[in-house]
Amino acid sequence: MKWWQNRKRNADLERELRSDLELEEEEQRENGVSPEEARYAALRAFGNATLIKEQTREAWGWTRMERLLQDFRYALRQLGRSPGFAAGAILTLALGIGASTSIFSVADAVLIRPLPYLHPEQLVRVWEQMPNGHRPNMAESNFEDFLTQNDTFANLAAYNYGVASVSGGTEPTRVHISAVSPGFFTTLGVQPLRGRPFAADEERPHGTPAIIVSYGYWQRYLGSREDLSKFHLDLEGGSYPVVGVMPPGFDFPSGAAAWIPRELDPPTPSRTGHNWSVVGRVRDGVTVAQARANLSAIALRIRHQYGTQVDLSNAVVVPLADAIIGDVRTALLTLLGAVGLLLLVACANAAGLLMARIGVRRNELAIRAALGAGRGRLVQQFLAESFVLTFAAGILGILIAAGGLRLLPAILPMSLPRREEIIINPTVLLFALSVIVAITVALGLFAASRAGRRDLRGALSSGPRSHPGSSASQHLRSLLVVAEIASTMVILVGAGLLGRSFMRLIATSPGFQEESLITIEFSPPIPQGQAGLDQTAIARQAHLLDDVVARLRTIPGVSSVGLAGAVPVAAGDNLPEGDFLILNGRRPPASMDEFGQMRRNNSETGHALYAVAGEDYFRTLGIPLIRGRMFSHHDALGAVNVALISQALARQRWPDQDPIGQTIDFGNMDFNLEPLTIVGIVGDVRARGLDGPPSSVIYVDYRQRGMNLNSTPTILMRATAPEGEIVSAARGIFRDIAPDIPVKFSTFAAEMGGWLAQRRFLLLLVGLFAAAALILAAVGLYGVIAFFVTRRTQEIGIRMAIGAQRRDVLRLVLGEGARLAVLGVVIGIAASFAITRLLSSLLFGIGATDPLTFAGVAVLLSLIALAASYIPARRAMRVDPVTALRYE
Amino acid sequence: MDKLTQQRTGVLQGTLDMLILRTLLYGPAHGHQIGKHIQRTTNDFLQMQHGSLYPALHRLEKRGWVSTKWDMAPDRNREFKYYRLTDRGKKQLVVEESQWKQMAEAVARVMWPAAEES
Repeated sequence: MKWWQNRKRNADLERELRSDLELEEEEQRENGVSPEEARYAALRAFGNATLIKEQTREAWGWTRMERLLQDFRYALRQLGRSPGFAAGAILTLALGIGASTSIFSVADAVLIRPLPYLHPEQLVRVWEQMPNGHRPNMAESNFEDFLTQNDTFANLAAYNYGVASVSGGTEPTRVHISAVSPGFFTTLGVQPLRGRPFAADEERPHGTPAIIVSYGYWQRYLGSREDLSKFHLDLEGGSYPVVGVMPPGFDFPSGAAAWIPRELDPPTPSRTGHNWSVVGRVRDGVTVAQARANLSAIALRIRHQYGTQVDLSNAVVVPLADAIIGDVRTALLTLLGAVGLLLLVACANAAGLLMARIGVRRNELAIRAALGAGRGRLVQQFLAESFVLTFAAGILGILIAAGGLRLLPAILPMSLPRREEIIINPTVLLFALSVIVAITVALGLFAASRAGRRDLRGALSSGPRSHPGSSASQHLRSLLVVAEIASTMVILVGAGLLGRSFMRLIATSPGFQEESLITIEFSPPIPQGQAGLDQTAIARQAHLLDDVVARLRTIPGVSSVGLAGAVPVAAGDNLPEGDFLILNGRRPPASMDEFGQMRRNNSETGHALYAVAGEDYFRTLGIPLIRGRMFSHHDALGAVNVALISQALARQRWPDQDPIGQTIDFGNMDFNLEPLTIVGIVGDVRARGLDGPPSSVIYVDYRQRGMNLNSTPTILMRATAPEGEIVSAARGIFRDIAPDIPVKFSTFAAEMGGWLAQRRFLLLLVGLFAAAALILAAVGLYGVIAFFVTRRTQEIGIRMAIGAQRRDVLRLVLGEGARLAVLGVVIGIAASFAITRLLSSLLFGIGATDPLTFAGVAVLLSLIALAASYIPARRAMRVDPVTALRYE
Repeated sequence: MDKLTQQRTGVLQGTLDMLILRTLLYGPAHGHQIGKHIQRTTNDFLQMQHGSLYPALHRLEKRGWVSTKWDMAPDRNREFKYYRLTDRGKKQLVVEESQWKQMAEAVARVMWPAAEES
């Protein structure tokens, strides 16, 4: 028979038992027993009919299904009867499941899911390795050697990454462009969605121009048109027909909106110009280690052949996924750890609630056991109840996670790799499901083991009013709360360390006044590409910029306008850096080759960031002139080229000399070998970011050197009027002077916000988790202390009857809370010491065991614990001895 | 019911299937008869626990060793659920009987080694 014939079979069993029972009764009567006696005798002989039925059904085997359904019905009824408990437990667990599921979906997208390329495990990034440990990009000639001499790669492709002004679409815009070497797309294993990859005659020097655009650019600026033949994009003075559109989701290098063949730029054969990023695909069956060994051998050969004319001493080969994820891994693992702890706290809390419930249901359980419910049956019942709980919590949690993922983009840092790939997919659901199942089983077994241990007879005889719970269960609940407090302590310490780092960071002065600064990225085309600008180009550019600046200065509410090659700090990574020559009376190099040779003499070189600026830049930002003089209008195009240096560079490179008057050559930055004379020293700026030391910077005058592709012309305006008014006035001016040139308005604060986003994101989430854990732990502690007070009501009454003061009662109850809190905090501190070390790389200005953070968190946690104990303690103080003694 | 009997039945529960099958060798019987028969035959040594009997009967039915049929009792004007030994049940009885015999002999050899030797 099948389980759906259930009813029939039950009726059959019922009938069989009844008929046999009646027969027994008849026989008893026939033996001369009175009818009533016979009935009881028969019943006695038969025993527990319900139990017999249950056990018989068990023999059928299929009843598990039916029993399960019954258990679920029962569980629902049980939970419905105590909605407070159900809501508390479900919300607690949903919080834990929701938070961990959303963080897992981020980790899944960024860390776990393979990259969206064909056989992503074969892809690697390659760098040169310098003897001092640095990993610069590859120099062109070295790349050619690696490309032609290796026998482990299916292909190696070089690409660069820069910002360029692109017009020809619906509106001019400034986007990231990547120049790529032949086979770039096939290396990644991705073909254009529309159109075609670059053809051979486009991938040779002086070839036909061509451009491939990203799906996003195609949608936004080319109107998603099928026919690409009409589109020609103007890029830094050249016209490029659009030949292809990459599929959505193709984002390599991250943020690139268009790709052009690198052969369109004149080749820059060099062994020290680290201009190219390199991605490679190893051949089938070749391991990354073999590929690394192969490239290392080639690097050694290059080093051997060219000696000190090259920087590299080795090659670095890193799987592409690792290279992309980079330092985000630590941050994400931190989040996963924090959310895992939160989940633990939530589970401990739910377990505590469950134990309290079992205490209340002691009688019911005892009655059920007395009526013949086996222990296995009770276990199953508890599993069903915890399943109903966690299932409801799980659904709610997944909804929370889905909602959280909608909110996440607002706080996810733009720099987070693969952030568009974050979705709730089957892997994430599977994760949520495993969490739910794990919690169900853990809680169910936990509850069943607690319930199963009860002494039935004791429970039945002592009645419902006796203390609900043994001292053993009180002990266990206390342990749960200690674990909660300890876990909370760890999250809080993590949040505290991140928070203090963040406060320190934003309190760090960048070296100038950052308030009410409007930034405008203004990008006139730079015709000569990577090569240097000639005098006329510099003059034309300076004229345009001067014109713009002069007009902007007339806007009411603008107190000053400055001009530089990048927004310092926020976009400090855009500032190029390199070695410069200290001429010391020597003749300046006549060619880049000679520059390269002179650069090898370490005693006469220095290393600095290169910034193009105008004199107003310093005034606008409030960077002080320390010594010497500023740029001035005497520093014209034909005059002696001048430079300003930062104090840090003066300290570092000319500690015992006066740098003013020194001549240097920084021609590798703008391909202009005209030497520079240092005329002044200006205040320090943390140009590369607040977490770095003050930077060594060499400033040159835009009127003398111009801005090439190394720079992003940026206008900085100090505003005294509302930003909106100024920006709209400025827009009008740009439309007037240069309608075709893309302009991007922002504020320094907003740019800094972007720079801080990753840290803020981490801090915000860990802080949230810490707060949630803190609340849960406080509730858990409250529950235990309230339970403690209930159990001891009688004892407290006796104590008060024999003269104890309220103070003593308060001390008794708070003491219990404090005992648990201190134990939790001590364990938490020990655990934190071990765990927060892993955070070191995320901290700024403090150590991973910052005593102030540890102490502060311990105090905070203890205060919360005392507050949570104080509420039940007050109830205990109000105990009326007479009532308490009658309580039994 | 005293504790001693309970314990004895408990020990013998594993062989209950065999006893039932053996009882049915005489012909179809309903649960009450089977229980009573075993009890009587053992001089009330085996008090039949209904909580064991019915599950055992249904287990045997599930395994196909007995078949069931509601039938009129010859002496009572009522229907009872009659259990009848199937062919497979008969085979099973042989198997269980021989297993039981081996078991009993083995136990006896351990318990009364001297008697075995003599």
